[in-house]
Amino acid sequence: MRDLESTGRTRVADATASAGPLVDLVIGMKPVVIPETSGFWDGTVVQELRIQKCNACGNTQLPGGPCCANCLSQDLTWVKSNGTGRVFSFSIVHQALHPSFMDRVPYVVADIQLDEGPIVLSNVTDVDPHDVRIGLRVAVWFDEQDTDAFGVPFRLPKFKPSEQ
Amino acid sequence: MSISGKTAIAGVGTTQFGKLPGSTAWGLQAEAVRLALEDAGLTKDDVDGLFTEPQFNEPLLLHGHVIGRMLGMKPNFLSTQSLGGATAIALIQHAAMAIEERLCEVAVCLFGETAKTGLPMLFGAPQMGRGQSDDIAFGVAGGAVMEARSAMRYMHEYNVTHEMLGSVAITFRDHASKNPAAQYQKPLTMEEYLGTPFVSEPFRRYDCAITSDGGVAVVVTSAERARDLRKPPAYITGIGQAHNLDGLRDPNHYTHFAGARSSERAFRMAGVRPEDVDAMQFYDCFTSTVLITLEDYGYCKKGEGGPFALEGNLGLGKALPSNTSGGSLSEADLAGWNQIAEGVRQVRNECDERQVPNAQTVVVAGHGGFQASHATLVISKDQP
Ligand SMILES: [Zn+2]
Repeated sequence: MRDLESTGRTRVADATASAGPLVDLVIGMKPVVIPETSGFWDGTVVQELRIQKCNACGNTQLPGGPCCANCLSQDLTWVKSNGTGRVFSFSIVHQALHPSFMDRVPYVVADIQLDEGPIVLSNVTDVDPHDVRIGLRVAVWFDEQDTDAFGVPFRLPKFKPSEQ
Repeated sequence: MSISGKTAIAGVGTTQFGKLPGSTAWGLQAEAVRLALEDAGLTKDDVDGLFTEPQFNEPLLLHGHVIGRMLGMKPNFLSTQSLGGATAIALIQHAAMAIEERLCEVAVCLFGETAKTGLPMLFGAPQMGRGQSDDIAFGVAGGAVMEARSAMRYMHEYNVTHEMLGSVAITFRDHASKNPAAQYQKPLTMEEYLGTPFVSEPFRRYDCAITSDGGVAVVVTSAERARDLRKPPAYITGIGQAHNLDGLRDPNHYTHFAGARSSERAFRMAGVRPEDVDAMQFYDCFTSTVLITLEDYGYCKKGEGGPFALEGNLGLGKALPSNTSGGSLSEADLAGWNQIAEGVRQVRNECDERQVPNAQTVVVAGHGGFQASHATLVISKDQP
């Protein structure tokens, strides 16, 4: 599951290398880092999972946005998450609708409820997909560094089973 | 000051559904409008309100403008909305309000697309917005993997079985077998259902809405005017919407949709209780969506929708005949629009073999944006 470069991503990379950022945007399999989410993606480069926190009311949220969804304050900061939580729900994808993922099936798309509260969408790896269960303890790991369509570096935060 | 019963659906138009090579979205929209106006006994010149939902694949900028020009209309009221599978009912609600306020008199609401044979849907930032499509990096593309996570949690919390999900697909396919317009009419067995591979667990192929080319249009006008038209009015007696816009980021929204609030508003406006409803037309984008909506609407307690469906209660002649045309699982998936056409035809007693005897009150559910939006429409044969 970790071996992304030898799977679907290669084909997309070939296509984008020749046609540039526009095709990458249309194919859209990478994040596009914008000011409101850059705190999150910058964190992944230094292997930190970050949550957006409101300085006015203390609300935490993911993904990042331009304001606090609780009080509309725009005084927002990024705080480090422990990177641990539980599988709240998941799906095992057997038929990928997008060509970029066809070589990866079956893979697990999961909603991880972090110990700090927010739910983050990711993949659960390093486990047979059929052994994934709701409530499974997981910890974050960071995939190899890549860049978005505009050259901004990022690593995809993924989760694997943890002992604790 | 309720709009209950003040307006009615006076005409519905449905194109052929299925695989229609050579068709285009706006061509299907035009055909549906022509058929809906013929059904109502009206002409294009009677129309002064236009309400449109843009197609998902091959999206069209300024959809209402382009379609209005294509139809040669000069409306006094124009509205384009995009709320996923809740859009159809939301547009009809907007039309009813505009008519009641005398902002327009005859409204046409429309949708049509070529999801089956047209260009595939675009993914990524150009379609969804920069920073709004990052989930795709984790292999989240298409609807099944979105709703599957709701279904997985729902099955876990309430011991819902695959057979319970399957019973929804099988019952609706049985209804489609009585509907000559349905895209898939061949009956489905539990063995066949369970024997197909998973698409996105817990969903198999038959848990997911089919893919269709087709168009649907609905004519809305005042109750008074509707009474003088070709077909009997289907009165809009209750209508409501509600939204859970944080979707799957809120742990409650996996198993509880905004349908509870939306239906409460619509039922109250119509003055009906769940037991007064003669037939239900769910937006059955997925089988689990039907079970959760059943509970949200008060037909069953939480967790009892699965056993209720498995006992056959959604079938014709049973406790709550549902998706009598086959719905999005078998007739056509057109973002919930064909469910509205079916609801109108049921209260008009036009459904032949699949007719619910003496259908007075039919409820249509719209569900969209992956747990974000819900809308509810109550249509009645009689004015309250
Ligand atoms: Zn705040």
